[in-house]
Amino acid sequence: MTTLLWLQGGACSGNTMSFLNAEQPSACDLVTDFGIEVLWHPSLGMEMGDHAQEIFRACASGEQPLDIFVFEGTVILGPNGTGRFNMFADRPMKDWVAELAPQANVVVAIGDCACWGGIPATAPNPVDSVGLQYLKRQRGGFLGSEFRSKWGLPVINIPGCPAHPDWVTQILVAIATGRAKDIALDELQRPLTFFKTFTQTGCTRVQFFEYKQATKEFGQGTRTGCLFYEFGCRGPMTHSPCNRILWNRQSSKTRAGMPCTGCTEPEFPFYDLAPGTVFKTQKISGVIPKDIPEGTDHVTYMAHAAAARVAAPEWAKEDMFVV
Amino acid sequence: MATVAVEEKLISPLGRVEGDLDLKIKIEDNIVCDAWTQASMFRGFEIILKGKDPQAGLIVTPRICGICGGSHLYKAAYALDTAWRTHVPPNATLVRNIAQACETLQSIPRWFYALFAIDLTHKNYRKLPEYDEVVRRFAPFTGTSYEKGVTLSGKPVEVYAIFGGQWPHSSFMIPGGVMCAPTLSDVTRAISILEYWKNEWLEKTWLGCSIDRWLENKTWEDVLAWAEENESQYNSDCALFLRFGKAAGLDRYGGGCGSYLATGTYFMPEMYEHPTIEGRNQALINRAGVYDGEEFHDFDHLRVRESTAHSFYKGDTYLHPWEGVTEPIDPKEGHAQGKYSWAKSPRYEVPGKGPMPLEAGPLARQVIAGRPGAAEYQDYDPLFLDAIKTVGPSVLVRVMARMHEACKYYKLAQKWLRELRLHEPFYSKPVEYPEGKGFGATEAARGALADWIVLKDGKIENYQVITPTAWNIGPQDGNGVHGPMEQSFIGTQIRDPSDPVEMGHVARSYDSCLVCTVHVYDAKTDRELSRFRIGELG
Repeated sequence: MTTLLWLQGGACSGNTMSFLNAEQPSACDLVTDFGIEVLWHPSLGMEMGDHAQEIFRACASGEQPLDIFVFEGTVILGPNGTGRFNMFADRPMKDWVAELAPQANVVVAIGDCACWGGIPATAPNPVDSVGLQYLKRQRGGFLGSEFRSKWGLPVINIPGCPAHPDWVTQILVAIATGRAKDIALDELQRPLTFFKTFTQTGCTRVQFFEYKQATKEFGQGTRTGCLFYEFGCRGPMTHSPCNRILWNRQSSKTRAGMPCTGCTEPEFPFYDLAPGTVFKTQKISGVIPKDIPEGTDHVTYMAHAAAARVAAPEWAKEDMFVV
Repeated sequence: MATVAVEEKLISPLGRVEGDLDLKIKIEDNIVCDAWTQASMFRGFEIILKGKDPQAGLIVTPRICGICGGSHLYKAAYALDTAWRTHVPPNATLVRNIAQACETLQSIPRWFYALFAIDLTHKNYRKLPEYDEVVRRFAPFTGTSYEKGVTLSGKPVEVYAIFGGQWPHSSFMIPGGVMCAPTLSDVTRAISILEYWKNEWLEKTWLGCSIDRWLENKTWEDVLAWAEENESQYNSDCALFLRFGKAAGLDRYGGGCGSYLATGTYFMPEMYEHPTIEGRNQALINRAGVYDGEEFHDFDHLRVRESTAHSFYKGDTYLHPWEGVTEPIDPKEGHAQGKYSWAKSPRYEVPGKGPMPLEAGPLARQVIAGRPGAAEYQDYDPLFLDAIKTVGPSVLVRVMARMHEACKYYKLAQKWLRELRLHEPFYSKPVEYPEGKGFGATEAARGALADWIVLKDGKIENYQVITPTAWNIGPQDGNGVHGPMEQSFIGTQIRDPSDPVEMGHVARSYDSCLVCTVHVYDAKTDRELSRFRIGELG
């Protein structure tokens, strides 16, 4: 039996909803086939009021062994460090988190908010939201950079707005089947197996990127081209498996014609949604993309782009995703 | 003079209402005599949106609520469509409609099994007939219908992902249309997924009959007769719920304020190519409207106000959302001023009657659907107006209204999928005017949802969202009138005050997604009202 407690701070429940879309294993399979015992979850828990509080207190005191503590949403510190913008079960949620996290064998931050603050931490960060171990790219967060769970692990960050259900369920199965030691983390504490690749890895538009062919318009315009050049797609700069492990088993934003917003990276939403930045590629001198693929520089990028445009075959300028 | 025990009780957390809802009730002889719903979390989305890109709401507002994020996107797109005076091609309207409907189709079984029905397995009910069967089907994780219903609830949003890339939290609806241009196999796959969901869950598990047979029910009496009509229907989850719900008394409490609001949703593509606020009501397929308990009124967004009298915001304001302000205060300070929730109190200025609280949600929509005078393309459905007039609103009726909609929205989604013209446009590039005012609304699974946007100098000057949860769980207004959910609690008999499952039924029947309120409470700075403090009145 692996015990799991899941709480939500400054959250929208999107990660929970995403989690409930899971198959192989479904949320039910995790319980019935993989021995995950859900002690309490805000959407799935049977208990309420005092009975729910008894569970939290037992976990916090160590009386109830807690294997996995999943936190969704930001830790809200305001106003003035009191945490009173987010009360839960009789006290500021931040106080529960401070007591529960050290008692868990593994602490999992699910979704951007819990990882690094996400949308609620967008300027002016009205309620002083932080992630469990980061605020945006800065280490520390609520628990501090030195925090380690009982198994000696830092917080496992599963970012995304929301996180894909498989990114969660497969990690839970890994823990439940004794493969916790196989979970390698990157420098942002994300499981490498999911977050080494780019969102662009597996994107159906990658051939258009190769030949620098731009999508010129949304809707019917997305039957061809790459969304990087005009619509601010962050696929080449974002680490996620969105085009390897499809969403809802069907598609991905970039496949469907929506630019990647970079939601697995700590800076999301990029440029703090300043006027002129939403669904528009930021450019230098009106031509050169300001953000370019990871690991390259503007001069190399432009030389490569010029050659690629010359090399572009005719089909790369035609509609590809046709009726 | 007999001594009457009055107990004040704080239930925190209530759970399974999506987000944090704390409820303070006052019980007298096991009857709830007063209630305060306290939304306990505040994130400040309206503050974040100030000064941002006009389209920021398309990214930010879906994150207000991950349960109805697609609905947030839908109305945020229309708020910009009206502000920017866009052209929306018919295909784009159809795709938006399909996506909105699929999000709601997802929500119906997920809500019923995961959030609502597990309370029916509560030990309070163990002596009722068919309790063992209810446990066998509805027990969390292991119940046969629970597992099927929750898992299959992911299917309709697979269709959402085909058009929007993912669910939750796509932002693929934009002023002027949608980002996608589906191919033939996208559409055929979508049709097939919905067909599978309908066969496996809606007809086989929930109804035990065809959806067309179910939709022949036009009165509450028809529904009761339907449940006894044959073995298959009798054994369905729906009929089991009807029998067990009545045995558990769910038809006898939780009625609420008796006045209803629908802001309506789903547009006739050809009638809303140029979205305007004035042309909105006419172009709706599922109509907007207000029912004040006696008569119907056309919905007019200019009659909406939000009161902050009992909410943790500065002052005691009563403003239309275009003029709305969101200035939070420390709940500790708020409590001293008699405030108790992060939700504001939305009210509607009913002609001739003044400000009224209105219930939002499936029951409200279905009551409005019973209003005579629908155009030929609009939904007219007398079933739930009949129900509230014959048996009256209750937890049971509210649940049934929600489940009823599964059949209706399924049929609409399949019809729209067949109407897409794949060779025609899905987007019409708009002019991004730097100034303007917009209003966009829809019906999220849990009720009326709307945005009011003011643009100035190419950025957001003001952005206000009113969620269905705010309509339903909002606190008392400046006149001391309780919100709809508070009214639903009052008068309810509680069997076991130490485990008030009845309060859970009422709250969950509204499917209030508290995260959805944008602004929400602090239960406990009310130190003097500590849990289980037992007082006495002479």
